[in-house]
Amino acid sequence: MNQLPTDTNYPVHNIVGDLVRHHFPGVAGYVNGFLTLASLLLLVALLPVFLIWLERKVAAHFQARLGPMRVGYHGLLQSTADGLKLLFKEVLMPKGADRFVFFLAPILPASAAFLVMTILPFDHHLQVADPAGGVIYVLGISGLSTLGILMAGWASNNKYSLLGAMRSGAQMISFEISLALIMLLIVMVTGTSSLRGIVLSQQGTILDWWIFKLPVLGLVAFMMYMISSTAELNRAPFDISEAESELTGGFATEYSGISFSMFFFAEFVNMFVSAGLAATFFLGGFLAPQIGIGLIDMVLNFIPGFVWFFCKTVLVIFLYMWFRWTFPRLRIDQLMDLEWKMLLPANLVLLMVTGVFLAVGWIL
Amino acid sequence: MGDYLFYALASALVTFSLLAVSLPNLLHGAISLIAAFFVTAALYIMLQLEFVALAQIMLYIGGIIIFMLIIILLTTGLGVENRHKISNSRRLAGAGVSTVLLFGLLYAIGSKPSTVLVKDKYRAAPVTMDDIGLRLLSTGKEGFVVPFEIISILLLVALVGAVVIARRDSSVTYSHGDGQKESA
Repeated sequence: MNQLPTDTNYPVHNIVGDLVRHHFPGVAGYVNGFLTLASLLLLVALLPVFLIWLERKVAAHFQARLGPMRVGYHGLLQSTADGLKLLFKEVLMPKGADRFVFFLAPILPASAAFLVMTILPFDHHLQVADPAGGVIYVLGISGLSTLGILMAGWASNNKYSLLGAMRSGAQMISFEISLALIMLLIVMVTGTSSLRGIVLSQQGTILDWWIFKLPVLGLVAFMMYMISSTAELNRAPFDISEAESELTGGFATEYSGISFSMFFFAEFVNMFVSAGLAATFFLGGFLAPQIGIGLIDMVLNFIPGFVWFFCKTVLVIFLYMWFRWTFPRLRIDQLMDLEWKMLLPANLVLLMVTGVFLAVGWIL
Repeated sequence: MGDYLFYALASALVTFSLLAVSLPNLLHGAISLIAAFFVTAALYIMLQLEFVALAQIMLYIGGIIIFMLIIILLTTGLGVENRHKISNSRRLAGAGVSTVLLFGLLYAIGSKPSTVLVKDKYRAAPVTMDDIGLRLLSTGKEGFVVPFEIISILLLVALVGAVVIARRDSSVTYSHGDGQKESA
């Protein structure tokens, strides 16, 4: 059928890469590597601009408003304008702040987001690197965001910042456990922890995606992933680290100009990464949603894989934005209760039941 | 190429490790410790030990360092000069231990390599994740399934223990600052 080859060796042919290889055979490896990273950097730079616009539009339509309409078609250039304004703003540092840590802190979440982007499988063979321990890599690198937030809170020399950072640190460590356990579940059922391998294990029709392939449990795991990743992203309804009404701006209170925009950008790129991982783990990644009818499947397969990947990712991002306008914000103790008393035990039970399912063979 | 890279990484590792123990500000020390861990992970990658490098990043940078940072942030008087006075006898003891360690290592990997190293040299790199997983879960002479399961149970007990500690006693009622009562 449409079994994708698992062992095709690199380099894979594409127009730009072949042109470079043809004209500069000696240094093609370096040039192509540089181009790969540059295009990824471009994506990281442009994604937040689009996602911030999307966030504002979605928020506006949920509240029966129009949102930004003036700059460009339906306000498409609004976030570009805002970003430019932020770049030219003066960077202020509070008196008594730790200069080195203050300027180091915003770099960490941004670089964490970029580093995880390098292993996202955008398409069959459209992936910068595919380490065999991809899931472990994701978990390890996401710790950098937490580090950045903790450092920012401390270096600002402001008690609101420190409180916000401590809250967010506690929250992110707690929910990382749930997230890791759900990823462990996916690794358990697929038998590989390379992200490409996880996507390739879902080939076939729509029922072969892990959200459906594992009867009922897949859906439960997907819901739990959504809850814990929303908390890991510090988004509403779990945005207690920057609860405006209690902590002014949380850890980012004292940041301005480009330092602040780096936190802001990292938040949105992290949202994309998290949604992309959800698509990879549960929704078949770059695979087309086939339904088992030959003609329709042929048309669906004609659409390139990265289009499917971006469609699925934006769908998950829309879910995140939907949550924001649906649920009220939790208190810190309620948040911790949710993780340690509900999600974590539920996760352990889910892992056990999945083990039973695997042993009995109840997989579609 | 590989040699130069190794020397660059090794000198960076030494520098960051020295900074980690000598900087007067605890938080700066922790940051240089993070850098040292990253360089160590890079060295593991050079040795083609991908899994060890990833585990290093996940456990040390993603876990242990964050706990250290939280503890450091909860202490007061950071950033001031609060170095501990170290007596000469302690310095002497430290120097003695380091000398013994240095000569021990030189002996082990120097002119007369021990049998362990020679035996492992031929099958060391590259170790894939699959190899590690298979060996951890095999029952034969080369397998580690019993220690692996015991460690798993230990970690599970720690996780469940944290949940048990987090559960409040249901008979206890406590009051908020505004006098509002809540029973859990």
